[in-house]
Amino acid sequence: MLLSVFYKEWLKTRWFVILYTAMGIVAIGYIFMALKHSFNFSGTRSIWSTILFQGNQFYKIFKFIPLAGGIIVAIAQYLPEANDKRIKLTFHLPLGENKALMVMQAFGALSLLVAFFVFLGLIYFLGLIYFPVQMVWDIVLTVLPWSVSGLSAYSIVSFIILEPRWPFRFLYSIVGGLFLSFHFVHAGTACYGPALSGLFLMSLLLITAPLSSGYRFRKG
Amino acid sequence: MNNAIECNNLTHYYGSKRIVENLNFQVKEGTILGLLGKNGTGKTTVFNILNGFLRPTDGKCLIFGEDTQCLSPATKSRIGFLIEGHVQYSFMNVKQIEKFYSGFYPKWKPGSFWEIVKKLDVSKNQKISTMSWGQRSQVALGIILAQDPDLLILDDFSMGLDPGYRRLFVDHLREYAKSENKTIFTTSHIIQDMERLIDDVLIIDFNKVMVQSSVSDFLSNFKRFDFELENDDVELDNETLIVNIEKVRNKVELYTYSSERDIRNYLAERSVTPINFSQVTMNLEDAFIGLTRKY
Amino acid sequence: MEKLSRYTLMFIAIFVLSIVVPQLYWTAFEVPAKTPFVQYSCVNHDFLIYRPGEKKWQDTKGNEYTRDEYEQRLPLFFFKQLYTSGTLPDSVNNQPLDMRSLSREKSFFRLKTADIDAPKNNLFPMFESRSGRAMLEWPDDFFRITWRIEFIDAATNKILEEKSQMFSAAMFHNGFVFPAKNIWGISSPKKSVDEGYFIVDSRDQLFHLKMVKGKPFVRKIDLPAGLKFRHIDCVDFKNRTFYAYLFSEKNEIYILTQDDYKLMRWPVNGYNPEITDIKIYGDLYNYTVIMESPGEVKAVVLDKNYQYVDSYTETWPVREDTKVGKIFTSVFPAQISLTSDTSKFVSFYFNLSGGFYWLVLNFFLVILQLIWLYWKKKIFRNHVADLVIVSVCGVFGMIAVHLFPNKFYK
Repeated sequence: MLLSVFYKEWLKTRWFVILYTAMGIVAIGYIFMALKHSFNFSGTRSIWSTILFQGNQFYKIFKFIPLAGGIIVAIAQYLPEANDKRIKLTFHLPLGENKALMVMQAFGALSLLVAFFVFLGLIYFLGLIYFPVQMVWDIVLTVLPWSVSGLSAYSIVSFIILEPRWPFRFLYSIVGGLFLSFHFVHAGTACYGPALSGLFLMSLLLITAPLSSGYRFRKG
Repeated sequence: MNNAIECNNLTHYYGSKRIVENLNFQVKEGTILGLLGKNGTGKTTVFNILNGFLRPTDGKCLIFGEDTQCLSPATKSRIGFLIEGHVQYSFMNVKQIEKFYSGFYPKWKPGSFWEIVKKLDVSKNQKISTMSWGQRSQVALGIILAQDPDLLILDDFSMGLDPGYRRLFVDHLREYAKSENKTIFTTSHIIQDMERLIDDVLIIDFNKVMVQSSVSDFLSNFKRFDFELENDDVELDNETLIVNIEKVRNKVELYTYSSERDIRNYLAERSVTPINFSQVTMNLEDAFIGLTRKY
Repeated sequence: MEKLSRYTLMFIAIFVLSIVVPQLYWTAFEVPAKTPFVQYSCVNHDFLIYRPGEKKWQDTKGNEYTRDEYEQRLPLFFFKQLYTSGTLPDSVNNQPLDMRSLSREKSFFRLKTADIDAPKNNLFPMFESRSGRAMLEWPDDFFRITWRIEFIDAATNKILEEKSQMFSAAMFHNGFVFPAKNIWGISSPKKSVDEGYFIVDSRDQLFHLKMVKGKPFVRKIDLPAGLKFRHIDCVDFKNRTFYAYLFSEKNEIYILTQDDYKLMRWPVNGYNPEITDIKIYGDLYNYTVIMESPGEVKAVVLDKNYQYVDSYTETWPVREDTKVGKIFTSVFPAQISLTSDTSKFVSFYFNLSGGFYWLVLNFFLVILQLIWLYWKKKIFRNHVADLVIVSVCGVFGMIAVHLFPNKFYK
């Protein structure tokens, strides 16, 4: 039964997830290609020193990619459910409504985590070609809060799409947007260390968010 | 015989607007029951409460003994819901939608699904979103029948369908229900279709059940008499005898549960001599309008 | 499960409100407290204070001066301006002044709390200290210290084994116990001379490491028992008197003299690295240590032998004690910030409002919530958790409770 729910979610999102992951990989490829170009034109040592001592984040075009992914997957999954209130079809299934929603959320969150894992893995291993491991870890630590924002954005957008009342959708968008902005505070490389685990924990808790709007949807 | 559906003291308000109040009715297992009521009398509200998409202000509905606000998965597997508009997951194609639903129902009968769907002139890979309304409704019907549910709750099964598809629905549903002693609870805005399908009728009006009986009993008990008046100033209003009366100038349509003799006696008491007095045979639609008024 | 969902969302909302609303409040209403600029006058033998908010120049006795009079009394600080305007005195305290000595002895050092509480670098350039060239040049490799010291060539991202082994051996033979706990130095060629790095090993021993004509220079610096350093900041002063300012874990300030490596403690108390920004001005006669903390500035003057001369302290109300701050603490139970003036890290900086006046408002909000429950004919026991949230989180809790209405009861 749960596999059938996964199957439905896969049918809705497969092209979005595949294309998004491909685009993310292309973006990372571009980042390292541009890095190599900088090495050739400015010298490797010069680029290293700007990264180490001047806060150069050559990978900053990656900043909003996880966030975009979270939004895209949420829309791909939940907009078809919200249209004509098709989610009623899932709620009618011989499956607890909350269980059904959590399985849907698990699918979306897992597909995002797989994509982010691929991205971070690429950044790490491509990074190791050009930098010592200490610099690569700093890059990963800088990129991690952006990735966590993608997971939070997914849950927040899912929750908003399922929310039946427009005034509340507007208010939730504001609160959600402000919360997501906390993942992009202007800070140096690897500065998010202390806040990261808190933000990640909140992103995990937020996976339950759509249960609230799903409940309101069901109770009218 | 147990009740498939039971609604007890059902009350619902939208804000301060009363929709239903202390409504009580039961649907016995094995019956095919149609729900009728004028717009705004609470049919959609009752369906939404039965579907679990509305929590009533007071009272409750039970399906197979369980509160509809928290049906167990086991009970849900015995119910086939049709959502108004034959709404389905339009991003799926025919093959995918069969594969999706079959994973949920242990009693799934793929034969029932494909038997209906093969009548469509579509390939297995055709997306639901590219189908006509009628084709979509057929897919929806196939899904419901393949579930082999004990209870079917159909919210306006004829919506958007041309006569051919409506007839197909009625024929399949009736045959399914009768052959396997299933229960159907349905509504439709096309009462002629309902009449072909249902055995029993439930007519509601805000806070009361106006009629709950077999269609045949209702139509034999509820009568219409047409006649003309000599004097069109006469007022005829006896709430005990007359359920409803439509008078246009001197032409009268009188609706009643009473006998022809009782009506004639009443007219005589009022010194009214009816002209061209006759009993008119009604179908369900005529009877419904007669019971609930045109306006 | 729906309740967990609702409480999660409420928690997030309260978290967001606790960050955003106070921020908006301070942006709208905060009046900046301009820190007085304190300097020691070798002419007056007293401190002179410039108050930027009022544009006043005063001494500690309250005497006011014009800007020109003020600058005249600080010839060692404003010597360039006085020289330009032709008013630089020939001598001060019977000692002749010349531009060269003034320039050589003038130094400025600044250390903010955020400079200490920041991510640590792990890779450093080892400059050639005696290249024979007028300007220092960037090396092509960077070093890190783990179980040994490793030099990594930037172009190939590979370890230079020979160089790494040579330096590792030299450090080992001088008693260095790998790995390093901290590495401090000036990682830029924009300095007059390279003096390498000061490194604390895993046993809290302090070493000086640099590269001289391609060879390792390692010197172990004797430390008194138990002395550990929180932070060492290398300096590049023209007078080349000492290598660095050292800040111990007991908040003492030391300097390390050039070439003879004498560790000398300065008689300066009151430095708290968690809240204090420190500036040290050096001139021909004195060192002036200025310690700025929220609501306080403390200045300590030492002579060139690092002996205490004089000190001055001034306080003013911190933000929370101003009228605007008192209103804040009466309305908001707490404030969370993601950034802090005292750290470069992004974290959850939680600041509970002092005084507990906000409890009064919370109490009224609870009453308001009870009235609302009664008006809407809600069942009290279904909303107890909400009342607790309002009583603790005040305004933020009240907003959250209504943003996510409680309809999750049978």
